[in-house]
Amino acid sequence: MKRLILFLLLIPLAFAGWEEIAVIAVTISAALLGVVYAVGFGLGINELQLVAREEFFQLIALGVFVAVLMGANGVLNEVSTIAEFSPGSANMQEASTSIVDENVEKVFDLAAAVNDYDQTLSKEASQSSQCNIVGMGYTVSGCGGYSIMASTLSMSGGILGFAIGELSAMGRLLELSNVYALTLLLPFGILLRTIKLTRGAGGFLLALGISMHMMLPVGIIFNEMLGETFLASTDSLVDEYRPQPTINIEGCTPGSTYSLTGDSNEDNAVAVYEDLKESLRHQLFVILIKATLGPVIALLLMATSIKALTSIAGAEVDVTAISRFV
Amino acid sequence: MTDAIICAAEFGDFFNSTIIPLVAYATVITGILIALSFMVGRAIANPKLTLWAKTEAVQIVISLASIFFILTIINVFCAIDMVEIGSFFGVTVPTGSSISVYDAAQEYLRESALYSHNAMTTVRYHLEGLTILSFLNYFQCDFPIGPIGLGCWYGYSGTNMQPVGGYGAAIASLNIFFNSSNIAHFSALNFMFILLFVYKGFVFVFLPLGLFLRSMPYMRSFGSLFIAVAMSFLIIYPLMLGILYLMGDVLVDRPTDCLACPSPDPGGYIPESDPDLRQFLNEDVFSEHGGAGGSIAQTLGGAFAGEALSEYYYFENGTNITGSIQFAAYAFIAAVFMPTAALIATIASISYIARLYGEEIDLSRITQLM
Repeated sequence: MKRLILFLLLIPLAFAGWEEIAVIAVTISAALLGVVYAVGFGLGINELQLVAREEFFQLIALGVFVAVLMGANGVLNEVSTIAEFSPGSANMQEASTSIVDENVEKVFDLAAAVNDYDQTLSKEASQSSQCNIVGMGYTVSGCGGYSIMASTLSMSGGILGFAIGELSAMGRLLELSNVYALTLLLPFGILLRTIKLTRGAGGFLLALGISMHMMLPVGIIFNEMLGETFLASTDSLVDEYRPQPTINIEGCTPGSTYSLTGDSNEDNAVAVYEDLKESLRHQLFVILIKATLGPVIALLLMATSIKALTSIAGAEVDVTAISRFV
Repeated sequence: MTDAIICAAEFGDFFNSTIIPLVAYATVITGILIALSFMVGRAIANPKLTLWAKTEAVQIVISLASIFFILTIINVFCAIDMVEIGSFFGVTVPTGSSISVYDAAQEYLRESALYSHNAMTTVRYHLEGLTILSFLNYFQCDFPIGPIGLGCWYGYSGTNMQPVGGYGAAIASLNIFFNSSNIAHFSALNFMFILLFVYKGFVFVFLPLGLFLRSMPYMRSFGSLFIAVAMSFLIIYPLMLGILYLMGDVLVDRPTDCLACPSPDPGGYIPESDPDLRQFLNEDVFSEHGGAGGSIAQTLGGAFAGEALSEYYYFENGTNITGSIQFAAYAFIAAVFMPTAALIATIASISYIARLYGEEIDLSRITQLM
């Protein structure tokens, strides 16, 4: 019987978008409240009438909330699909997904380059020459200079790993929001919010759905806008943050410790170090702004939005724990 | 998948033989205390005492109604099929049988634990393989003719090197995500234990206690907290996790091929990646190549076929370092981020429900502990 009632209540939802689901949920709640008020009025129970009235105000608040959401969704979509910042995208969700995918590709390429440098330089640095005849001989580690790059590359690898992880996690959250924010979280939130005891959880789901659907993409797109504006600047200082061609690694001669022509192993190692330093500095923009700051801004926007929206929804949720992930 | 204990017949026995009598005792004892207070109030003509007794009589009805409500919801949650609920919202779950809200919550945490474990395994596989490769040494004799050098004909002249030693950057990044996937896996287990703790019935003990304490002087907020905790952990927490179960296709990359089978392939919980991350779940590779026979084969193979053969032993189709890092990041979302959100909603719900009972409870410190 319980399942039948639930089925009857929910069956219209199978054919509806989130706007229709919201309207149906509000209508069902209004009908139930009408019944409660009628019972209270008929039996002369003031408490029931008061509860029905209070819940009705909550319902009005929910209706306003849904209306604002519908309007804000359209406005934000308009703002976020400005052709310059999201070429070829239908809405901000698609735009933000393509931005994250593009940034992931950039960081992947950079990580592949750093791994290549690491493998080449490490192989060079590990070489030592040995000559031993009839128990006499020598061993020369002429390529030791190349090992100065090891710690730099290791640190770069760690930072790039963070960047890949952050962007991937952001990509997964966007994927979740694209698939479930409006189809599952929002309608579930609306339904739960109409029941008094589950209002807190409903408000949270509602806020989570809206924040994931809107604030996450907004954070990513706005960070991209910020970055593109910065790169478009003609200031010569900005040149330091534009990507540069890859570095050139001169091979090492393990048995050689000195060269009269000035291209000794040490000179070559220092030249590679200088190139590497310069090259990595030019990648800072992608790593720090696009791959690190972008997700942080987007997550903070989402967490702040959850806090604000749950407060509006009538059950403020302390999202400090979520913010701490940032 | 095992059925949630809370919906099993054995649990009904525990509930009927332990919890219901406890609730009955608590109701009777509280009722007697209220009646005594009322009589004393009338006897000594103290209107404060009689008013208190009347108020508490109403409160005990509210407490009983709350307990009845919780029990009704538990029965509904045991009967509702989350797959059907999902289909109402256009979300399909590829399972062959129906699944209750409580089962769905447990199943999601089991899947996220499996998912994060798979992430941990792929990252660890890479760390182990790359570390072994990093320590391989190779000696190339001078004046080489293929793998053999004439420089070693009368002595020992050549170049010593670590041909595949350059994985410092990769190992540094993988180390971070090995820790992250560890945290993800243990978080999933932690959330699972909280859920099992709830299912085992301990939370039900809060009900009679809450009922009794709510009607005792100065203990209203304490009793309300007990009932709010029971309500939130029996209703909100499983429901939130049940909703996450519906999102499993994306959250834990749920395999679509054989969920209807009695025991789906654990290795199926893995994101699509190239090269396929599934190959890194087989850690037998290390024991196969790590023994004496394996070492000799590697030494000879490395000497004659070069470092490529050594790499082939561990990474037949190449490494997938970025794929492994991505997998660990996904596992973090599935096993830490989303379940934490569910727990936050549950704790927020405790405050909200307690407020409905007329009590303000500040749980912000507990939330900050997470």
